[in-house]
Amino acid sequence: MIVTFIRTLIIFVTLVVVMRLMGKRQIGEMQPFEFIVTLIVADLACVPMADVSIPLTYGIVAILALFLLHQLLSFLEQSSDFFKHVISGRPSVVINKYGVDLKELKKNNMGLDDLIESMRNSGYFSFDDLDYAIFESNGQLSALENPARAEKPASVPVLIVNNGKAMKKNIALLHSDERSVAQFIKNQGGSVKNTEVMTVDGNGRTYLKIKNKKFFITKFALAEETKW
Amino acid sequence: MVRSLVSMGIVTLLLVCCAVYESNFVHRQFEEFGIVLDVLYEKVDDQTATQDDVYAVQKNWLDKKQYLHIFIPHNEIKEFDLWIAEAVTLVRDKEWKDAISKIEVLKELSEQIPKTFMISWENIL
Repeated sequence: MIVTFIRTLIIFVTLVVVMRLMGKRQIGEMQPFEFIVTLIVADLACVPMADVSIPLTYGIVAILALFLLHQLLSFLEQSSDFFKHVISGRPSVVINKYGVDLKELKKNNMGLDDLIESMRNSGYFSFDDLDYAIFESNGQLSALENPARAEKPASVPVLIVNNGKAMKKNIALLHSDERSVAQFIKNQGGSVKNTEVMTVDGNGRTYLKIKNKKFFITKFALAEETKW
Repeated sequence: MVRSLVSMGIVTLLLVCCAVYESNFVHRQFEEFGIVLDVLYEKVDDQTATQDDVYAVQKNWLDKKQYLHIFIPHNEIKEFDLWIAEAVTLVRDKEWKDAISKIEVLKELSEQIPKTFMISWENIL
């Protein structure tokens, strides 16, 4: 019994640490430790039920141990900010007044694609639609809309440069090439390598964020046949 | 908050009490069974054991296993059942050499199983 308890404790703590290290993309709505409890409880209940060679007490003790750990972590979380940050993490501001914060995204093991996906799920298609975007500790995206946001976007912006890398397939959508994109960025005072984000929509409206600078909106001259 | 603390306290107390009881119970049961096995071992060694002696050991085990099922994996209990059943036949046929090896296995199992309930690295890992 005590051995089952210690084993459950070790597995639980390992999972909490791993889930915290995995960042926010692995969780949805639940706090990391709540997610782990849900993950383990189902199995703990099933194994002694299905395998008659295992005494039921083994499952019951492990479930009680999980309950105890869950209560303990909830208690610690409520009693101190330090424990709250250690156990559940902090919210991450991934878009601020300066634009997309790639460092903050990286801290949560996320990329621009993940941010774009979460924004689309919330009904936002362009980075400048938002003044602030925050990934809460439960993995959900909270957004403060930019009051100057266009009522209806003309088309979905596509990612042209992602953290210093030109996206060849998307550049082809513009009926352009990497050289023209590089020249465009150079004219704006940057280079592809130090461009963190560049998106272009169907009207040529461009969101450009160069490293250590505030983002700005500019216009990319699209070829006439360009449509998406 | 108070409800959380009370529930944590109750569950901790319950787990600690059950763990202590389980450990004592399992140790006691196997200690007693080990003594019964020792007596049988000596009789088999002297070639004076009868089938009734083994039946008595078997009955002792059947009484104990009803409660041991709560704490011990059922496969391990089944092992005892099989070894004892073999010992019954071997004593009946007066095959002392084989019978003694079966009883030795039973004695070893009686010593080792309670150890799996102790807090030690090999049990936890």
